[in-house]
Amino acid sequence: MVPARAPELTAPADLPYSFCSQPRSLSSRPKYRKQSNAAETEKVPLHRCNIMIDPRVVRGNVLCVRHPPESTEPSTREVKRQRRAQKQGLARKLTQEQIRTGTPEPVEGRQHVSVQTELYLEEISDRVIEVDGECQTDEFLDRPPTPLFIPAKTGKDVATQIEEGELFDFDIEVKPILEVLVGKTVEQALLEVMEEEELAQLWSHQRAFAELRNAEFAELQRLEEQDRRIREEKERRRLEHLEKLHKQKETAEKIAARAFAQRYLADLIPSVFNNLHDSGFFYDPIERDIETEFLPWLMSEVEETLQKKVLGRMMLDSLIRTVVEKRLDEFSHPPPPDQTETPAEEPRTTDAAPQVSDEADAADQPVEEEETDQPVEEEETDQPVDEE
Amino acid sequence: MFAERAPWGHRALFKVSRCPYGTSSAQSPSTAILGYFWGESFSGTFGMATARISAYLPPDIDPTKAALAFGRRALPKLKEELQCPELLTQQRALMALCDLLHDPEKAYEAVALGFLDSLKTLLVHQDQTVRQKTTEALSVMALHSVGREGLIRSGVISALAGLLDDPVDICRKNTHQVFNMLAKLPEGAGGVLRAGLIPPLVLKLKTELDEIQELILDTLSNCLRVEVSEALAAGALTVLKEKLSHPSAAIRNKAAWVLLEISSHAEGKVAVCEEGAIPALVRLLEDTEPEVQVNSAGALMFAIVTPQGRTSAMAAEAIPPLLALVAEETSKARLNAIKALTLLAELPEGRSTLLEHRDTFQRCLHDPSEAVQRAAEIAIAVIDWKPFCSRDLS
Repeated sequence: MVPARAPELTAPADLPYSFCSQPRSLSSRPKYRKQSNAAETEKVPLHRCNIMIDPRVVRGNVLCVRHPPESTEPSTREVKRQRRAQKQGLARKLTQEQIRTGTPEPVEGRQHVSVQTELYLEEISDRVIEVDGECQTDEFLDRPPTPLFIPAKTGKDVATQIEEGELFDFDIEVKPILEVLVGKTVEQALLEVMEEEELAQLWSHQRAFAELRNAEFAELQRLEEQDRRIREEKERRRLEHLEKLHKQKETAEKIAARAFAQRYLADLIPSVFNNLHDSGFFYDPIERDIETEFLPWLMSEVEETLQKKVLGRMMLDSLIRTVVEKRLDEFSHPPPPDQTETPAEEPRTTDAAPQVSDEADAADQPVEEEETDQPVEEEETDQPVDEE
Repeated sequence: MFAERAPWGHRALFKVSRCPYGTSSAQSPSTAILGYFWGESFSGTFGMATARISAYLPPDIDPTKAALAFGRRALPKLKEELQCPELLTQQRALMALCDLLHDPEKAYEAVALGFLDSLKTLLVHQDQTVRQKTTEALSVMALHSVGREGLIRSGVISALAGLLDDPVDICRKNTHQVFNMLAKLPEGAGGVLRAGLIPPLVLKLKTELDEIQELILDTLSNCLRVEVSEALAAGALTVLKEKLSHPSAAIRNKAAWVLLEISSHAEGKVAVCEEGAIPALVRLLEDTEPEVQVNSAGALMFAIVTPQGRTSAMAAEAIPPLLALVAEETSKARLNAIKALTLLAELPEGRSTLLEHRDTFQRCLHDPSEAVQRAAEIAIAVIDWKPFCSRDLS
């Protein structure tokens, strides 16, 4: 770090030079020249000096006597090193002197010779082998990439070996682990067994309940059966009783009907016989015989006789008629005699039935008037009817 | 880091083998993590721990299981893997799922995510491991109440019906376990009935293995509690009568239980009488197993309610064994035996016989169980009953 030189060196020596400026902290110049990146140039250029490492800051005990640093000669690192080397040389000298006084004086006749005792001998001379070397800084390089920070190994290397039994006692330490393992295993097994046991318990509980329920159910069925039997028995007896009553009623009715029928039919036979008798079922055979045979024959004979009579009368009538007609004819042409009408009236009164005479009158009148055939027929037909 | 391997969620840090430490009879072959732990932080020499964590996977972690995603993502990821076309992924996902489903929270989540539909489609897979694991997952699901409800709602029952004839034993066993679990619920029993599973189950009773027969009998007993006509039509009674004389006590026990449920219905009682199962049941009353005695006494108690049943029971001389059961102080069949004797006491012959043994019932009045006391009181009342005239009937 080349500090900015004060301009006093370039000023002429006659005038006391003074310079003053406002106190300002100096920005630290970066070690390497700026990169070409524009971004970095935009950063705050002022990197304040860290006063902890600023060599211009007085450090250490403030109460001791401190010589001010020489202002003419800037205190570089080389000067510091020289001073440190001086101090070290002093210290070394002291120690070496101490060591040296330890060697005893040589015995008579002998002398101490310094001998090299190392493995490889070395030529010792006052003249130090000097080698010239020169170095030249390279041109400014680009900033190399930041190397991986591997902190320097500090401290001492120590090795250790753990013997058996030193770290822990296996038998004690394994206990909790074993407990967990075995415990978990057993717990798992117990859970599985419990699952099945729980189920078995549930089923046995259910079975017990089922038994009680079945017993109750059987009791229920028994009572139902009993009830059914009793009801059926009752029903049967009731039906029997009804049957009995019914039969009783029927029997009473039957008896009543029988009595009534008996009484009703008591005079059935007489009445029947009466009716039959009345309707002619029982007949006297002789009577019947007479009725069926004799009387019809009689009647037919009578009828015949009557018919004969009728026939005779009709004959008579026709005779009379012809006579009357003849007389009419005779009377119409010549003046008729009155004698023919009176003999006509006389045969009429000799008739048996007055009806016949009426008929004859009726017959004669129309005959007298006009027709002759029809009244004759009417007489013949009417007469059998009247006689019957 | 361990948690992603843990099958039971938060509870277990370490996966546990079901063989050496657990006592349950499960089938999943997961291995212990103990060796893993030892190989992990203890490198060979005991007492010498290194801070370095091995880059290798632990030597005996289960390779048959899918890796579970953390926390909430576990089940959705498994669901995606289940639908993957690759067989190995599906199998591994199923194995992981089976372990997960034991946790009720996971089961609820699974139902909510719609796992049941995916599992339903996998039921008809060709590979038997897939089918086996699917049925196992469903059976584990059926252990939870939410699982059961979900199974009923999603109609898995009819899908499982197709697996009844599966050639692999364990698939069938798991299927029957699912039915068994479901039938314990009333809605589940209704679902099984509606799916028309009773005739196939009755048929299977004749041909299946013993273990599966037990499961079938359990399922039938729960379903027949609801409705009996289908089973009777399928000829269940002949099969059950055979099973009553099976060498295995568990099967006899369960067959008697099924007969009990059948005869609790009216048509069942009639059918049981006609089938002539009552003498077989009376013979079982003297069986060596107490459970069988209980169930056969219970079946009798229901079957002899009808008059024909009573007469056939009297013909089979049921009273002495029943009295023996009642007299035994510690028998579990006391309650059922007392009820059966009550029924028989309503017959005149029964009453005359039981009047002599009245003191047995007197002793039961001081029984510790309240139900037995009540039953004994009723029995004594019935035995002491005298017929009265018909006037009192009205």
